[in-house]
Amino acid sequence: MSTIHSKNAEIFNKDRAKTTWHDQTFWALREKHDNMAKQLPEWEELRSHASDIKRHTITHLADYLEKFSANLESRGVIVHWAADASEFNETVLDILKSHNVSKMVKSKSMLTEECEMNPYLEKHGIDVVETDLGERILQLLHQKPSHIVVPASHLKREEVGRMFEKEGISKEIGNYDPTYLTRCARYSLRKEFMDAGAGMTGCNFGVADTGDVVVCTNEGNADMSTSMPKLHIVAMGIEKLVPDYDSLAVFHRLLCRCGTGQPTTSFTSHFRQARPGAEMHLVIVDNGRSDMIADKEHWQTLKCIRCGACMNTCPVYRRSGGYSYTYFIPGPIGVNLGMFHDPQKHCENLSACSLCLSCDNVCPAEVAPGSQIYLWRQSLEALGKANKMKKIMSLGMSALFNNPPLYNAALKFAPLANMVPDSFTNLGHLNPWGVGHSNPEFAKKSFRSLWREGLK
Amino acid sequence: MNKEEFLNKLRANTTQQFDMPDMNINGIKYEDTVAQFISMTETSGGKVVNAKKDDDLNAIIRAAYPDAKVIASNVSGIDASLNPDTVAEAQDLNGTDVGVVNGEVGVAENACVWVPQTMKEKSVCFISENLVIILHKSCIVDNMHNAYKAIRMTDYGFGCFISGPSKTADIEQSLVMGAQAARSVTIILID
Repeated sequence: MSTIHSKNAEIFNKDRAKTTWHDQTFWALREKHDNMAKQLPEWEELRSHASDIKRHTITHLADYLEKFSANLESRGVIVHWAADASEFNETVLDILKSHNVSKMVKSKSMLTEECEMNPYLEKHGIDVVETDLGERILQLLHQKPSHIVVPASHLKREEVGRMFEKEGISKEIGNYDPTYLTRCARYSLRKEFMDAGAGMTGCNFGVADTGDVVVCTNEGNADMSTSMPKLHIVAMGIEKLVPDYDSLAVFHRLLCRCGTGQPTTSFTSHFRQARPGAEMHLVIVDNGRSDMIADKEHWQTLKCIRCGACMNTCPVYRRSGGYSYTYFIPGPIGVNLGMFHDPQKHCENLSACSLCLSCDNVCPAEVAPGSQIYLWRQSLEALGKANKMKKIMSLGMSALFNNPPLYNAALKFAPLANMVPDSFTNLGHLNPWGVGHSNPEFAKKSFRSLWREGLK
Repeated sequence: MNKEEFLNKLRANTTQQFDMPDMNINGIKYEDTVAQFISMTETSGGKVVNAKKDDDLNAIIRAAYPDAKVIASNVSGIDASLNPDTVAEAQDLNGTDVGVVNGEVGVAENACVWVPQTMKEKSVCFISENLVIILHKSCIVDNMHNAYKAIRMTDYGFGCFISGPSKTADIEQSLVMGAQAARSVTIILID
């Protein structure tokens, strides 16, 4: 009955010290979120506004996209429409080729991860350089993000330092001080910014009214990526739109407080057009999102602003790590997005949830990822993915609970189970529920019989 | 895919519609907005220097960055060896010790300062090792709701809320100032 997630989690849990550290790292982020929330009396008002604004925008998306793209086009930005990942990748490659670009600096974008753009461009001879420090570390280690906001948070400083030594980025052997390593990366990335032919950014928010592409970073790497090269390409999923600046203010206040527990990111950049002598392209991507809108049970997943708060608070994510999930976005929201993307392939992630609903309580846009997971679980039978052993057990329990005389008889004889030795029931390969659990002790008298005695 | 097909599919898949909520949000207000802005700037790793209306800004910048050799600015009255309006390329500003720019709106809740592009090469805001932002006290607002009502975009079509220096915690969650952009930010707050 073990799912891929639980098997991967077991591997992650072999290094208990690192698992504990991982757990504490993200719990600290959750605590920072709480401190931020407590400082704003209007916190819950902001959350319900965020949810309502997104609900409105997503159900009027075509109109807002028209307005947004027309605003940008009026200022010379070239807008492209991509139905899926391959159209997106081809569009980006075409833009780069028509400008003879051989190297692109790139600011973090989960959409390009979703579309697997880097390997595609690299196959076609483009050197893609990640400029967010965490992403750069992962790129050089040939790893994928384990979290959407702090992508390299699973690594220890020594792992980063040793790789920097190998790559020639740091010169002082054995110096694993984070400040020193960050300086080395700064120096190395400076060179990449200077001679790259293009800069790519994602888009945290698109403002329909004004035609602003808004990008939030702490490092300023989106700004370096767009201030030096003469070509700026924006990758944007359709769900990133908000109607106007009043709405943007709500999301600006929530995003970083929820993600990293800071009051804001260091840089919130608004791009409306190319800088003098440069060119700006915007690629608007669907890749399954319009199908999500048609899903009556799950369309609200599109309200997600990718802050990562649900991962930080999730007891399963914190103790199983980002790589235990099969979808590239981990945690509660990733479980949901994976189900949209390919339910057959990613349905085993549905087990990675204790239904504690902590994520529902912190989500700034009230997506309710935990409650959504509960709903997805109800569709496992239709997918042909329901667990056979659990099905048999459910049938048995249903027979037992629907038959009071049988149930009472079972209760009467239950204390006999106390006499079965633990070693009989803890055979892990026969009884997976026995792993890590001891047998419950059945009371000699059931509550029902005590109650009946009391009535006399 | 062309735009029409793209939007048609979206429209066909949208079966229900919801209204916008009332946007009168009760944003936080501070007893002393300027004091809150200064305190948040320091929390975000920035420095604040208070100045009187007629103070010599060049002297303040020199005192804040005594070792600076290359200063880049197009702000009138600032002594600078590089001008982001006249450099040929953005890359020419690499090596700038101190960039000096004007800020237009300060936000007390999170130390954001709105820096609209008012120069040909906006790289001066990011490539400089240290950034000085000149801001008037009267331009500080309580929260982002007020800030987004107050900002204005120039014809360059770019603006950025900057809150403290560039920072990262990507290596084992250790906070380090100075990732890819300015390693330090000083706000000169003018009465």
